[in-house]
Amino acid sequence: MLLIEADGKSLFRDGGLRIPDGVLTGADMPSPALPGDGPWVVKAQVPVGGRGKAGGIALCRTRDEVAAAVRRMIGQSIRGHAVRTCLIERAITGTEAYISLMVDAGAGEVRLMYSASGGVDIEQTARQAGGIVSTSCTTDLAGVREGISRLTKDMPAAAPAAFTEVAERLAHVFFENELLLAEINPLFWTADGAVVGDAKIAIDINALERRPSLRDIIDRQPQVYRDVWRKIHEGFDFIDLDDDGSIGLVTTGAGLSMMLIDELVARGGKPVNFCDVRTGQLRGNPARLVRVLEWLAEKRNLRVIFVNIFAGITDLGEFARLLVQALDRSPIPDIPVIARLVGTGEQAAVDYLKSARPRLAVYSDMEPALAKVISVASP
Amino acid sequence: MTQALFDIDSKTPVIIQGVTGRMGRRHAELMRAYGTNIVGGTSARPGDAGPEGLHVSRSCRDVVTATGATASVAMVPPYEVLAAASEAIQAGIRVVVTVAEGVPVHDALRLRAVAREAGAVWLGASTPGMALPGRAKLGFIPDVALKSGSWALLTKSGTLSYEVGYRMGARGLGQSIWIGVGGDVVKGVRFADLVGPLARHAPTRGVILVGEVGGTEEEQFAEAIRSTGFAKPVLALLAGRESKEGVSMGHAGAMTDGLMGTLRSKVEALRASGAEAFDSIEALVDRAAGLSEAPQQRGAGASTEVEGRSR
Repeated sequence: MLLIEADGKSLFRDGGLRIPDGVLTGADMPSPALPGDGPWVVKAQVPVGGRGKAGGIALCRTRDEVAAAVRRMIGQSIRGHAVRTCLIERAITGTEAYISLMVDAGAGEVRLMYSASGGVDIEQTARQAGGIVSTSCTTDLAGVREGISRLTKDMPAAAPAAFTEVAERLAHVFFENELLLAEINPLFWTADGAVVGDAKIAIDINALERRPSLRDIIDRQPQVYRDVWRKIHEGFDFIDLDDDGSIGLVTTGAGLSMMLIDELVARGGKPVNFCDVRTGQLRGNPARLVRVLEWLAEKRNLRVIFVNIFAGITDLGEFARLLVQALDRSPIPDIPVIARLVGTGEQAAVDYLKSARPRLAVYSDMEPALAKVISVASP
Repeated sequence: MTQALFDIDSKTPVIIQGVTGRMGRRHAELMRAYGTNIVGGTSARPGDAGPEGLHVSRSCRDVVTATGATASVAMVPPYEVLAAASEAIQAGIRVVVTVAEGVPVHDALRLRAVAREAGAVWLGASTPGMALPGRAKLGFIPDVALKSGSWALLTKSGTLSYEVGYRMGARGLGQSIWIGVGGDVVKGVRFADLVGPLARHAPTRGVILVGEVGGTEEEQFAEAIRSTGFAKPVLALLAGRESKEGVSMGHAGAMTDGLMGTLRSKVEALRASGAEAFDSIEALVDRAAGLSEAPQQRGAGASTEVEGRSR
């Protein structure tokens, strides 16, 4: 999961790297005191790359320009993410470089990369021979130190010391926070040393439980990190895909849920959400299903709820009882429910639902269930 | 190295790490009922009841020494996976399957290095496991999805593969081997690692690959079948076309950054390597059924009978 730039920078600052003076502003926050006399850079805080090319970064010479840029960005959507806050920083001048440390999943190691010329066109730089230098390291500080000395071999005389200092601090931040990616682009080389121009950090959600400082970043900002916040606090996955969609999903299994979304969209459907409710963890309690129904109830165009459970281990008879209990407490009792249930205890589930919820359509096969969902969802 | 997965059968002695826990006990019994030769297990409280007739000890080395086990299924919480699987490998286990969801990526990096150094095969981090249908299963792939046949089913996802297996079964198609590699960012066995043994595996007449957005495994698998001249038909189902950029879709590995790991890049790589890519389960299973009835050859080594009878 990507952090917004301001949070990434705070990790770098805590790790001893220099970041520009800056201030965060948002719609419901008072006008901030700007750092210094300008120029400033205004940057939309969204957890996604490619902001600059999508209009999420503006260089401003006057305070009026800053105010206008903030007004323009707040509320805008950048690559699917609503802009809630902007970071206003003192503009830095210096040579733009690039440095990153990332988990290399294919190699099973970490990769250290550096380029003396960074900036928005780094992907292009990377394609040019010698544009970017890169080395694979074993997964610990010692391994990265070896990588650093491999990369400094070919650097001009004055460069290695400064590079080594930045790279080592980057490595500390990377390991202390168990990061998947720690990228500084641009990294400014200024007369006073290195300054972090932008921070792109991907954290490992699986490590949050033993990394309280990262956990705290999420906990403080449920609006910014909505999906992950929910996963931590509810124990399962529910991801908003389309707040204007018409099909609410109550599904289990990440891969199958993803596939169902693709299959529904291919048939012209508009799913509201991705959902992996983890039926194996319900343990006789409908609370999790009730939560899903509550979230679905907030979607204004919802027309149908599609329940899809492939029960390998879970008993469907038990699940059907929990589903009915949850539907009894549903804030949207009039929305039709279509269930596709297959696997262990299927017949018991069908028999029970027939008597307890005669209007609930139950299918064993997916194709007719999908067709029914699409026909009910169509206006 | 992944050949060891293909050599597992109903005689392979298997232990369960965490065998007296709620999940360990239950799944040890289910695996045993399926035909797996479960011989023992480890437990932090070895006095607690496990399944009957098993050698249970606190120490993995003791259990391995006493039983001669060569494979292990670790049913321990995610933060204990690194220690448990490392202990198993150090005790001489050759194949270790880890099933816990939520193993930290840096732990997975370390475990991968431990397995490599020992020449052992680690299947995980988070996988429902593997099966030789009709013979043995290591993990919790539901029996209803398994059917003996001639398609190797390789998958990142649990539930989606169950659905595929189940719908294959309804059409009379089955699996020669089922390997869940997991939906993690860093894992022990990747799709491409399986290409060599798959080419040699006589019961496998074709491959069904169940992939999804994120990472570059499908692309690397495509490169591996192309560069090795893999001759058996490959059908790939890819999930996550509609996933949200920058967000992990349930599986930690299922995150796209807009450059790598998109569905488009996977489809293009697979097709360029002679594989067929599908975005619907029905289309995939239709094609597998078609190939099984009237096999279309892909390269010189393709067999004349794709779908075998159930053993």
